[in-house]
Amino acid sequence: MALTIGEVSTQKVLRRLQSNMAWRRFRRNKLAVVGLGWVIVFVIIGIIGPYIAPHNYATTNFLAANQPPSWNYPFGTDNVGHDMYSEVIWSVQNALEIAFGATLVSFIIGMALGLWAGLRGGVADMVIMRLVDFMYSFPTYFLDLILVTKLGRSMGPILLAIGITGWAGYARLVRSLVLSMRHGDMVEAARSLGASPAHIARRYLLPNAMNNMVVALAFGIPGDLTVMAGLSVVGMGLRPPLPSFGNMIAQAGSNILGYPWLMYIPAGIFAITLLSFLFVADGLQDALNPKGGY
Amino acid sequence: MGLVQFLIKRVIAILITIIIVLAVAFTLMHVAPGSFFSSANISAQMGALALQSPILYQKYLKMFEARYGLNQPLMEQIVQYVWHSLTFNFGTSFENPSVPIITQLKTAFPISASLAVGSTILSIIIGIPLGVMAALKRNTWIDSLLTTVSVMGQAIPSFVSAVILVLVFGVWFPGLLPVNGWGTPENAVLPIIALSLGNIGVVTRYMRGSLIEGMRQEYIRTAQAKGVRYWSIVWKHGIRNSLTALVTVIGPTFAFTVVNTVWVENIFSIPGLGTLMASAFPSDDIPLAVTSVFILSLMVMGMNLLVDLTYGLMDPRIQLK
Repeated sequence: MALTIGEVSTQKVLRRLQSNMAWRRFRRNKLAVVGLGWVIVFVIIGIIGPYIAPHNYATTNFLAANQPPSWNYPFGTDNVGHDMYSEVIWSVQNALEIAFGATLVSFIIGMALGLWAGLRGGVADMVIMRLVDFMYSFPTYFLDLILVTKLGRSMGPILLAIGITGWAGYARLVRSLVLSMRHGDMVEAARSLGASPAHIARRYLLPNAMNNMVVALAFGIPGDLTVMAGLSVVGMGLRPPLPSFGNMIAQAGSNILGYPWLMYIPAGIFAITLLSFLFVADGLQDALNPKGGY
Repeated sequence: MGLVQFLIKRVIAILITIIIVLAVAFTLMHVAPGSFFSSANISAQMGALALQSPILYQKYLKMFEARYGLNQPLMEQIVQYVWHSLTFNFGTSFENPSVPIITQLKTAFPISASLAVGSTILSIIIGIPLGVMAALKRNTWIDSLLTTVSVMGQAIPSFVSAVILVLVFGVWFPGLLPVNGWGTPENAVLPIIALSLGNIGVVTRYMRGSLIEGMRQEYIRTAQAKGVRYWSIVWKHGIRNSLTALVTVIGPTFAFTVVNTVWVENIFSIPGLGTLMASAFPSDDIPLAVTSVFILSLMVMGMNLLVDLTYGLMDPRIQLK
């Protein structure tokens, strides 16, 4: 008994040591720390946004249309008098839902299929990998467009569309990680002690693959945000009056000659956000994968 | 495996993929024609008609359905649609029934293709020297500058850089370069720059990584020991090997470039496939929407095939399969 208790506490200490070291490596990457700061601000704005936005996103005021940035309207107003400051705050919320929601959906699908393919092998592996090849053979953005046309241009459908078309990369990664570990000593030992495949997957494969997966997930977020905004560019993004960075940028593109402030701020914030997520992903890579596995 | 066999196998695979894409796209997009009628573009007229004379409206709807074969069973429509598309017989769009889609494609496709291919070529030409420079000056300020800039180029989507270019050349320095339209060579400059920023980043980073890796090989040390001149080693053993590997990133990068072309065309109002898409999708114009997806996917798959072929020809160690 004493042995078991000792073992557990050693494990705990070891884990704390590992996370300490990971955090130290993350901190060494200055850009990643700055990025993390912005991401945290972004998340906070996303959560409390509806309470701090001075106007509702749908509120229009034709008397105050097309105003440059001023004290009353810090980011200016657009051609129907939307307060761009409020629009940006509401957009942050939408972007966050996509960034974490859609990415998580593709992550879960990809992880399940990748694990299945890697552990089962045989026909399941072949079918899943053909499916992955299929998803890779043409731009999934087009599938997103078609799905959004079918399902509708609101939050849920867009999240779902981006989620269920973006899993191929995760599936391929998990499968290759599983295959590389499947015949390793650790799994062999567990199997010879009579562990079931499900137990092996849960206890040994997933935890060891997790670092790589978290890094991949972090790298996936900016891509999903870009696709979401890209839907707006061809007029298939969130249906107005719901605001999103894509909607604002697409609109600014057509109004830019007369009202350039409609562009500076949304495009600037969007670009900084994408970069921040990317820097954080890069930092996570340094922290969790010092050997540069992914 | 012989080249011809490989080609046949790949073309069959592409055909199967395309048939699945077409069938799935058509099935998903198959919404009742009423949705096209109620879409923004023609809802005013049709809405008025439906109110004034429901009988006439129904008659018109029936005519419309018959014309596009929408009154047939779905399965039959899918088979017919796929067959027609494979023989490049796309019919006409809902919105513009007097002009066959193929005529619209004849003007739109060359524009999109030249943008995508032009940007790919430009980014290879610029990206390779930058990547080589970063690799040879590894861990200096040049390297970190180039790496940071290429990460930023990759992270910032083309539509954002396009809008920034419009701002710079339309508002700050008007008259230097046209910021919208198509027709003269100058029109292509800004769109291609917007498209290439990300690709240059991809090529630079890839070239840097693979050259650093390549310069660590044993044969480099052998050549150095033999007394071969530095630049000769870099060129013959370093860069040339990395170029072979670079071919493999062109495939996935091109898919990404095609999507970006769609976005950039819309920002610069260029009448290519991307603008066709932007007019077809929001108004539920099924034939035009699915056709533009079909053509762009075909472009990507054709490029992938070309990449695989080039790779097989360039690197004798690779067996085509």
